[in-house]
Amino acid sequence: MTRLRLPPWLVLLLPAIIILAAVVLVPLVLSFYSSFTAYQLTRPETLWKWIGTFNYRKAAGDANFWWAFGRTVLLLTIALNLEMLLGLGLAVMVSKVTTGQRLLRTAMMFPMMFSPVLVGFQFKFIFNDNVGLVNNALQSLGLTDVAIPWLVDGHLALFSIIFAEIWTSTSVFAILILAGLYAIPQDPVEAAKVDGCTPWQSFRFVTLPFLMPFIYIAMAIRSLDVARAYDIVQIMTNGGPARRTELLWTLIGRTAYVDARMGYANAMGYIAILLSIFFTIYFFRKLTAARSELGMGV
Amino acid sequence: MKRLAGVSVAALMLGLSGTAFAEGEFAGVTLEAKLIGGQQYEALYARIPEWEKMTGATVKIISQKNHFELDKEFKSDLAASTTNWCVGSNHSSFASQYPSLYTDLTPLIPADQVAEYVPANIAAATLDGKLVMLPRAQFDVSALYYQKSLYTDPAKAEAFKAKFGYDLAVPETWDQLRDQAEFFASPPNFYGTQYAGKDEAIVGRFYELVVANGGKLFNDDFSPAFNSDAGKQSLQWFVDLYKAGAVPPGTTNYLWDDLGNGFASGTIGLNLDWPGWAGFFNDPAASKVAGNVGVAPAPKGSAGVRTGWSGFHGFSVTENCANKEAAAALVLFLTNEESQILESSAGPLPSRTKVWEHVVDAAKSDPYKTEVLAAFQETGKTAFAVPATPYWIEATNLIYPELQAAILGDKTVDEALQAASDAVDGLMRENGVY
Repeated sequence: MTRLRLPPWLVLLLPAIIILAAVVLVPLVLSFYSSFTAYQLTRPETLWKWIGTFNYRKAAGDANFWWAFGRTVLLLTIALNLEMLLGLGLAVMVSKVTTGQRLLRTAMMFPMMFSPVLVGFQFKFIFNDNVGLVNNALQSLGLTDVAIPWLVDGHLALFSIIFAEIWTSTSVFAILILAGLYAIPQDPVEAAKVDGCTPWQSFRFVTLPFLMPFIYIAMAIRSLDVARAYDIVQIMTNGGPARRTELLWTLIGRTAYVDARMGYANAMGYIAILLSIFFTIYFFRKLTAARSELGMGV
Repeated sequence: MKRLAGVSVAALMLGLSGTAFAEGEFAGVTLEAKLIGGQQYEALYARIPEWEKMTGATVKIISQKNHFELDKEFKSDLAASTTNWCVGSNHSSFASQYPSLYTDLTPLIPADQVAEYVPANIAAATLDGKLVMLPRAQFDVSALYYQKSLYTDPAKAEAFKAKFGYDLAVPETWDQLRDQAEFFASPPNFYGTQYAGKDEAIVGRFYELVVANGGKLFNDDFSPAFNSDAGKQSLQWFVDLYKAGAVPPGTTNYLWDDLGNGFASGTIGLNLDWPGWAGFFNDPAASKVAGNVGVAPAPKGSAGVRTGWSGFHGFSVTENCANKEAAAALVLFLTNEESQILESSAGPLPSRTKVWEHVVDAAKSDPYKTEVLAAFQETGKTAFAVPATPYWIEATNLIYPELQAAILGDKTVDEALQAASDAVDGLMRENGVY
């Protein structure tokens, strides 16, 4: 009897393969399979009830799902752009500071240190219509005498959520762009000055192109973050009222764990992943283009 | 054999006030339990060591969370087949979702013991002929809390009569409550009333109003029945109050804590709420309305029926528990007379007939407590549980966004109820209910 001898490369890779299979491949295959079944958490036997593409067809024909999809794209677009602009401004300002810059950089990162759940609770209280800080401040200052329903009005509720997202994550952009600013070679900037460029021109045509790769990396990372926005929204509005702030993951989370319809939730999840894949590919293409423009290769 | 063992256990439990336990009856047995956590629920758990000492068994609490979190955990347990723990907290609103998780307690608990609980509670704890839980002293139905001072001001009374043509008094019907709420409201500093605005909470409120207005939420085959005149009348009530500014504009985001704290802050006139808040509302350290709180039975709808959506907590034994007899004994112990007296002394309502008598008797010297108990006892007489379908929570998740849409003006009452009814019909059909 000969012992089975695996080639050394396979033996060396085996631990990684086993771990990857256990934590990524098996759940992925299982969840993909279950999206074709009537799987309900409370009825384990339904995992074997094959229903073909029913869940996908149901999601595709569900207006609420597509509204949530569209709203997620809207949130993503607004939040990413505002975070980028504010982060860029913050980074440029901090880079100009001569004393206390380290302190500022550390302070800038404070919002990132809070758990999103806590941020959600904090802003839920701040925007509460009856006892919240914002309304009380506005009423005390005599700016309004009505209770503004921040978390109820369709536009205001989305604004409140975006505000919370921006508060907590602008520093991600700021830090990455600041790193970019430090990496910019000074020669082209000085050359632009000598050639008589205004500060705006040298920023627009020299500094910004150098920063674009950093901005796109930040965009790619944050687009994945925002596309799976769940915790802050779940705490602040839970997708409501009347589905006005329903995003993909609040809808999917409720379907999976409250309604226990895991098969259907997985099908929606797989459609939702397309969104993340799209944004990731889009930003990486942009990144590659920005790098080749700078002659940095691909 | 099982029944015999159950009977012997129960027989031991009968003389609980004494020490009739056979020492070490369950020596060496370890019971794992998943119990609801929270300050108001935990005083009872201090009795567990007493039971451990009497029986020799050990109780290991492996999870303590609120019911919504426990619910998710139970569902995950079912999915992963990790249901060999023994005792779980249960709730009448959630129980029907886990048809395979819990065992029938009928063979384990003798009938004369079961008869000592309030029959309506036992009926609601029996699903498909299975007694799935024993109710603890956490019976919930809502009565009307109000600020007494609103009814002692002659100028207000006169103005009200001039406007509505009848005397201002604590409302006995939901139409009167709507009139008064609109009359008292002075936003943004004072609101006539408020209501839970999302999740199961608003559907529960809608459900009880539909019943009070003579309608039904579901037909006998669980097809939706709320898209009816009674349903429209009920939803219109929510819409009217919101439109009139008689409720806080954020009410569609409110759940129980927001409502309780809102009434305690003194900015709400009338508040339909649960018995657990009675002490808090009248505690000067916690509430601005302390000393000014009145409690009346829940108002009636247009059919002359009181609202009375009720629920209760209980304990269940899992089907896969290795020692069901011991688990049933623990459940009986946690809901026995002494346990219920202990729990209800802090305010919650009992679910044993004798303990009700005890509680009413003990409150005689305290007029506020007497008023509270009278109001809840009266409301409890006609209380009703949620429809016994495993799809209750899922149905509420389909109904509540539509109710909100009507309240906020995104849809008309007719459109919202039609959409909710269609969605629930689809859910029931998809699951082969009919």
